[in-house]
Amino acid sequence: MKPTTQNHELISALADGQLASEDFASVLAACEADEEALASWSNYHLIGDVLRSPGLAPQGSDAAFVMRLRTRLVQEPALDAGVSAGKPTLARIGREASNDNSFRWKLVAGFASVAAVVAVAWSAGSGLLSPSAAPQLARSDTSQQVLVMSEQGSVVRDARMQEMLAEHRQFGGTSALQMPSGFLRNATFETPQGERR
Amino acid sequence: MNFKRFRLLALMGCAFSATNYIAAQTSAPVPAVAAQATESKNISEWLVRMHEASRNRSYVGTFVVSSGGVMSSAKIWHVCDGTQQIERVETLTGPPRSTFRHNDQVVTFMPEQKLVRAEKRESLGLFPELLKSSAGSHIGDFYQARQEGRERVAGVDADVIALIPKDSMRFGYRVWAEQKRGMVVKLQTLDADGKVLEQSAFSELQFDAPVKIEKLVQMMNKVEGYRVEKPELIKTTASAEGWALKKPVAGFQPMSCHKRPRATPSGDAPMQWVFSDGLASVSIFVEPFDAQRHLKESRMAMGATQSLTRRVDAYWLTVMGEVPMATLGLFADGLERKK
Repeated sequence: MKPTTQNHELISALADGQLASEDFASVLAACEADEEALASWSNYHLIGDVLRSPGLAPQGSDAAFVMRLRTRLVQEPALDAGVSAGKPTLARIGREASNDNSFRWKLVAGFASVAAVVAVAWSAGSGLLSPSAAPQLARSDTSQQVLVMSEQGSVVRDARMQEMLAEHRQFGGTSALQMPSGFLRNATFETPQGERR
Repeated sequence: MNFKRFRLLALMGCAFSATNYIAAQTSAPVPAVAAQATESKNISEWLVRMHEASRNRSYVGTFVVSSGGVMSSAKIWHVCDGTQQIERVETLTGPPRSTFRHNDQVVTFMPEQKLVRAEKRESLGLFPELLKSSAGSHIGDFYQARQEGRERVAGVDADVIALIPKDSMRFGYRVWAEQKRGMVVKLQTLDADGKVLEQSAFSELQFDAPVKIEKLVQMMNKVEGYRVEKPELIKTTASAEGWALKKPVAGFQPMSCHKRPRATPSGDAPMQWVFSDGLASVSIFVEPFDAQRHLKESRMAMGATQSLTRRVDAYWLTVMGEVPMATLGLFADGLERKK
């Protein structure tokens, strides 16, 4: 068993993430075996957190101060007018940019934003020109039923239609474009009859 | 003050040239600069070249099909050693499915249902006989090929060829054929307005990948644990079944006719009569009319495939094909019961 001070030092180094493999393993083993070691491990973490972010660790003295502050605040007369008058000034100051008065920089900002918008719109526009994914609507010149086939609307197909579709694709392979595209297309896309039963 | 103005103008100039540069990056494919020797190829030459290329190259790739807003993809292995071809297609979307093709034998594995379907697809061997058809009509009478430029697809340079229909009874196509040997790497089906109805393309392609035929044949024959189904076909002719097309639709030749020996609760399985004009095909399904199932006549569009159902006397017709709806109507109107 290592001497306690050296142990503490090692645990402190562990909390800082500075230990190498051998030491790391041995300190972890020590922590598992010894409750006090575990307690000092938590302490070191707490110390680290407090040092890094001063607002984190409320002390006993802080709590008393907060209570005193609260009672004093309740006792203060209402100063609504004064408080709200202070806010707009603050807000206005916060929103205004320091170079607002310079027309030249406003122009630069304007052109930069226009250029950015045009660039984005152009690339988005050329993206939209690719095969559209819009639902296909079959035109009807009589009063016959028109069924829309879309990703949501595929429920209109019945099992028989599905079978016929598969058979059409299988035997409608008499096309110059069948190899490889047509055959591969059907093998990739079709739902064969077997899967319906 | 002048210097400040100059800087302003310089900034404006930069902004405009930047937008132009970005616009140029996303523009349409560069059209062919000068008349090339390839421009003089007619449609038959292009199609034969595409067909031969698909038979003679080995490759591995990922294939994506986008139809009617639905997209599916599959991984493809294709090997040929001069005399035989073998292909394996593994779907990446939806229920897993492996399709193997060895020349014209097709075996489909469906692991979720432990089902294997084995069949012989005669239609796969019919091209290039399609180019010389008995009635004298020719693909070139109905479609025209035009080279539209060059583009890069799935890592290969390809010629873009438009197959433009000469009448309004069929769809057009745009084909991307790999430059060296002409294999089709991307295909779009276009309607009369030039809108893309369906697209199938390789998203990744690697030629001459080291895949062994024996390995694929082995995988194709591994059917342990699966139920094997061998669907049968009864070959017949339309006239034997009592049907004829009194007004043939221009360009479409009857290719085959068959029935399936299926005992469905409603009676006979439908007869299927297949027509083709060389690029597009149409199937007419005829079955006895059943008031319970055949509720209303309809027209549907599923990507490039249009379908139409109609009652004709005591029969129910379903006409389906990758052609405009009006053409399906012509088929349905022209069908006549002989006996």
